[in-house]
Amino acid sequence: MTALPPGSATTPPLRPASPAPPSVQRSWAGVLRQELFASRGDGLVSALLILLILASAVGLLRWAFGQAQWAVIQVNTTLFAVGRYPIEQQWRLWLLVVLVAALSGLSWGLLRAFPRADRSGELWPFNDRLAVALLGFLAAWLPAALALGFPLQVRWWAITGLLVAMRWIAGHWGRSWPPRLLKLVPLSWPLLYLLGMVLIAGGLGMSQVSPSNWGGLLLTLLMASFAILLSFPIGVVVALGRRSDLPLLRWSSVLYIEFIRGAPLITLLFLGQNILGYMLPGGWAPDRVWRAAWVLTFFCGAYLAEAVRAGLSAVPPGQLEAARSLGLSMPQALQRVVLPQALRIALPAAVGQFISLLQDTTLLSLIGLLDLLGTARTVMANPEFLGKNAEVYLTLAVLFWCCCAALGLGSRALERRLDPTHSPA
Amino acid sequence: MPSTQPMIEACGVQKWYPNGFHALRGVDLSVSKGEVVVIMGPSGSGKSTFIRTFNALEEFQEGSISVDGIVLSNDLRNIDAIRCDTGMVFQQFNLFPHLTVLENLSLAPVVVRKRRRSEVEAQAMALLERVGIAEQARKYPGQLSGGQQQRVAIARSLCMEPRILLFDEPTSALDPEMVGEVLEVMRNLAADGMTMVVVTHEMGFAREVAHRVVLMSEGQIVEEAPPETFFTNPQHERSRQFLAQIL
Repeated sequence: MTALPPGSATTPPLRPASPAPPSVQRSWAGVLRQELFASRGDGLVSALLILLILASAVGLLRWAFGQAQWAVIQVNTTLFAVGRYPIEQQWRLWLLVVLVAALSGLSWGLLRAFPRADRSGELWPFNDRLAVALLGFLAAWLPAALALGFPLQVRWWAITGLLVAMRWIAGHWGRSWPPRLLKLVPLSWPLLYLLGMVLIAGGLGMSQVSPSNWGGLLLTLLMASFAILLSFPIGVVVALGRRSDLPLLRWSSVLYIEFIRGAPLITLLFLGQNILGYMLPGGWAPDRVWRAAWVLTFFCGAYLAEAVRAGLSAVPPGQLEAARSLGLSMPQALQRVVLPQALRIALPAAVGQFISLLQDTTLLSLIGLLDLLGTARTVMANPEFLGKNAEVYLTLAVLFWCCCAALGLGSRALERRLDPTHSPA
Repeated sequence: MPSTQPMIEACGVQKWYPNGFHALRGVDLSVSKGEVVVIMGPSGSGKSTFIRTFNALEEFQEGSISVDGIVLSNDLRNIDAIRCDTGMVFQQFNLFPHLTVLENLSLAPVVVRKRRRSEVEAQAMALLERVGIAEQARKYPGQLSGGQQQRVAIARSLCMEPRILLFDEPTSALDPEMVGEVLEVMRNLAADGMTMVVVTHEMGFAREVAHRVVLMSEGQIVEEAPPETFFTNPQHERSRQFLAQIL
């Protein structure tokens, strides 16, 4: 066969060059006037609302910087961070934070160094500069505001510096590193997770730290990340099972999903604490913390399965046919063609699920575990800090808000990177 | 010119859909190596169903089909072997939207044939050159026009080095101005001696490229003839009706 003469049979460019659309930029004042003060009635409502918002903001700020006594947070930072984790073993947690910071910076830099195949990415886009500025501000302000000792402040500066430095190094020189090394980076995350488990729980020659001593942010993040990571494969398998042609598989998947979705999480948590001991042979039942972790995992898995199922039904059947007709086996076709598309579609719903799971971990305090909320309740019960509820709850809310915002931002960045129709920006 | 060595042999193929619809009522067809067979017929006549049985995208209940000497049975290894040797081009292109054009082409050779990626990509670039869109290799399918997408789909099939290409209405979903570029690629393939079974309504293509035209109606083959006979002097009343409607 002869090659097509260039240009003869090819489609003409989709859009011929055309004049730019007329500029519709308006001034800020114009936008404000149109949106808030378009008519007399609008103006009245807007003015009232603005006054109300200003008044409450002023009230909150006056309380936060005048009346509020933040000593309750400053004195208990360690308790809020890690619970009753033994002090002489806390170097293990510091090591974990250092490793996470280094790997985060490395991955972040590499993501910028290797933009998508169809784009030329900027090395330091505006968002990244903003994020670095924010990190710098937090590193400078937060340790001081929490009245940490000077050595601890220096530690946080160093960790932040490490993250930014890794981001910088990987961003500038990542492209020249050997590909074999680069392939290890995504693999190092699950490895780091396993290592983190060992560092937290003990093993490999380090002394055991019983789960009943984990607490605060450590326990909350540990429970949430464990449930998120393990519920993902469960969700995918159950979603595939629910769409399977094999009746037994299909019906057991439906049964699992409907059983979990039919009961409130708090019921399942209590059930898990009480009944697992009878269900599993003596000694096999995990301890209280791990029982709760598994209940959270299976709970999240059922909801995730529904999100993944929606994603699977959104992939046109022609995709599987095309993959199969190219000779891919069913597992290969699922892995390479169907699941990548289905999971991308399911991503927003799945992240919504993860965010609500993170917040659901506060229910652990009701079964007597010392997660963030549980720790807060013990602190507030201390006669020394009576009546400091507002300070504690506000801190908790901001902490959760930060974690959820990070999840949300990360997932939106991932969506944009994976969206094949997103126009290059 | 086609040789006499048969590439596809279908004998008495019968198919019922699960809802009881009798889609294929004993269809016989033999396609020789290097032959281009065009299948025409009104919608619902079973022509798409028929060519989809050749690579086991559709099951059939009675009769037998062998492709390149391999008998289609329920044995999964046979099905995989036939699918590797049989390329298929779909009406809706069915490109993988999450992969670039180049990755669309190299996926199956790397995953199924276990070939080296660098070697496959060189071959893929040569194929894209042949269908005239090498400069789009790093784009995603959603960024291409319909005609370009269908040419990528043809190149994707060719990358597995198939011995037979099946086309299921390859130009029906295209804007009229893009039909020509796809037919041009198919014409070149036929000139290179590729064995092709094409379900299409493109009269010009059938007249010019096909060695044989087959008319299907209600799950049966009504007429089978060289294009000049089929278009000028059809033997059956049903064929005359069909031609009268589309000409």
